[in-house]
Amino acid sequence: MRDYVELIREKTDASWINLKRARTESIKKLEELKGALIQFDVPDTSIVVFASLARLEFTNDSDIDWTLLLDGFSVPEHLDTSMAIAQKLRELGYIPPGREGTFGSLAFSHDIIQYIGGEDDTNSNTTRRSLLLLESRPILNREAYDRVRSSLLKRYLNEDLGFWRANNPYKIPHFLLNDFARYWRTMTVDYAYKQRSRGNDGFALRSIKLGMSRKLIFMAGMLACFNCHLDYELEERNHKYERSNLLEVLDSMKMTFDNTALDIVAETLLKYEKHEKLWPSVTKLFGAYDAFIGLLDDAEKRSRLSKLTPSEMEDDPVYRDARKIRHSFREAIHEIFLTPGNPISELAIRFGVF
Amino acid sequence: MRDIGFSTGAIALGDFGRALRILSMRSLRAVELSALRLQEVNPLLEALRTLDLSSYSYISFHAPSSYAEHEEAALVSALRKVPSDWPIIIHPDAIYDFSLWATFGRQVAIENMDRRKSIGRTASELDFIFKKLPNASMCFDIGHARQYDASMSEAYLILKNFRERIVQVHLSEVDTSNRHNRVSFAAEIAFHQVSRWLPNRVPLILESRVEEHQIAPEVNMATRLFGSAIA
Repeated sequence: MRDYVELIREKTDASWINLKRARTESIKKLEELKGALIQFDVPDTSIVVFASLARLEFTNDSDIDWTLLLDGFSVPEHLDTSMAIAQKLRELGYIPPGREGTFGSLAFSHDIIQYIGGEDDTNSNTTRRSLLLLESRPILNREAYDRVRSSLLKRYLNEDLGFWRANNPYKIPHFLLNDFARYWRTMTVDYAYKQRSRGNDGFALRSIKLGMSRKLIFMAGMLACFNCHLDYELEERNHKYERSNLLEVLDSMKMTFDNTALDIVAETLLKYEKHEKLWPSVTKLFGAYDAFIGLLDDAEKRSRLSKLTPSEMEDDPVYRDARKIRHSFREAIHEIFLTPGNPISELAIRFGVF
Repeated sequence: MRDIGFSTGAIALGDFGRALRILSMRSLRAVELSALRLQEVNPLLEALRTLDLSSYSYISFHAPSSYAEHEEAALVSALRKVPSDWPIIIHPDAIYDFSLWATFGRQVAIENMDRRKSIGRTASELDFIFKKLPNASMCFDIGHARQYDASMSEAYLILKNFRERIVQVHLSEVDTSNRHNRVSFAAEIAFHQVSRWLPNRVPLILESRVEEHQIAPEVNMATRLFGSAIA
């Protein structure tokens, strides 16, 4: 895995010290977890972390979203193992996953691979599936994790008939893109649901996260799909996307999703370094994200945001600063994705909404 | 067209004589003489002088899959009796001392492993083995590769990285209990997805445990799947 964020930073002469610190801290935490959880490394399972730690954006007060992913025989002791992992993490003082129950327990490959859409595709299943591609990382043994991601990507690619059609000039995996878009909209709706069900508890912090880290993973997913088209010239594209090359395409997408969301975005945007109109927006995008990480890493500000009520928000200086950061990030996204005149916006306008 | 045949172990486990008699009634051009258990090695090697194998254009020898460390040197020594143009198929997890096997050069063929093993299952794990046996060839077990990763993504990576080493393909469907079964409809679909990367003319050895009457249908399936590979 290359650090594409660092490559962009070098080219922009920015410092982005918060991003750098969070990456260093995340790698340290991942190593700590490896040591702490090694006794729970059992066959046919992978212990997978999600969210900020998987994005290498671990900051002060970040929680640990994790799951014990099973791909193989299910035995009663798997539940004991997942409970023991939860207990161990509690003992070590890690903040447990959110109260929705999506993380902090067992997840099964069968549901993740077989239930894409339809009645059985629950909210938790959609979340696990999307995040498995967009923001996850195995802690120890990665065999189950790699197998599930491969099978998942294979379904998205293999069942996308239009993607392989020779006379289709746009090589965008729409099945995958639509599922990412669906997940993004699910997050925005769940944001409103949580606001109601939790009586505005933590509303301000969630609002900022929705506009930053949640939006980032959708952006990364969208770019990963667009890159199938953008990375090749017309003739090369037609040759590459012959159905007989399914496993080759799958392999290159797997490698893309091995990167963090921010690195997927950085890798894509690095290709447009010479694009005069685009590059200032790139700097703005990463600058805003760095400021967001800095905000989350400030214990006092984070705590303030998590306690704010909707009526206090407008006059609160911490929230106003946070909102400025979110607006700057949003502006940069609009300039890159929705302002005509660059190859990314051409695809985003054409396929991003309708 | 590639040569297609059976492993004697698949036809009659531990009884190569019976297996060869059954196979002699079919016009197959490839065969793998299987000595999967250590005690089967010497009887098979001693019988080589008397066995009529003239109808086969390709013959390989499957070495035992398990033995104790102190038995390894004697085994390697015994395997010197295998004709030098017959590949010796070996499971990488059975090897204790790689230097012993390195002396066979290209004659020794490393087989990719199933999910229950701890090494030799993936492209990166095989890379580690081939660093220790740089001249070794490979037996690509497509059933093992699918049992490890049903998406066939790992099979693709193995073929992409080690295609040039492959001298033989093992074909069967390996279930979750690691039994070698007849190839099912689902497995056929999966195997077809990597068939274009199988080297042309590399012989195909069926490992499906079959009854006598199932030999011809299994060979037909193999021919349909891989017989006319263009790679």
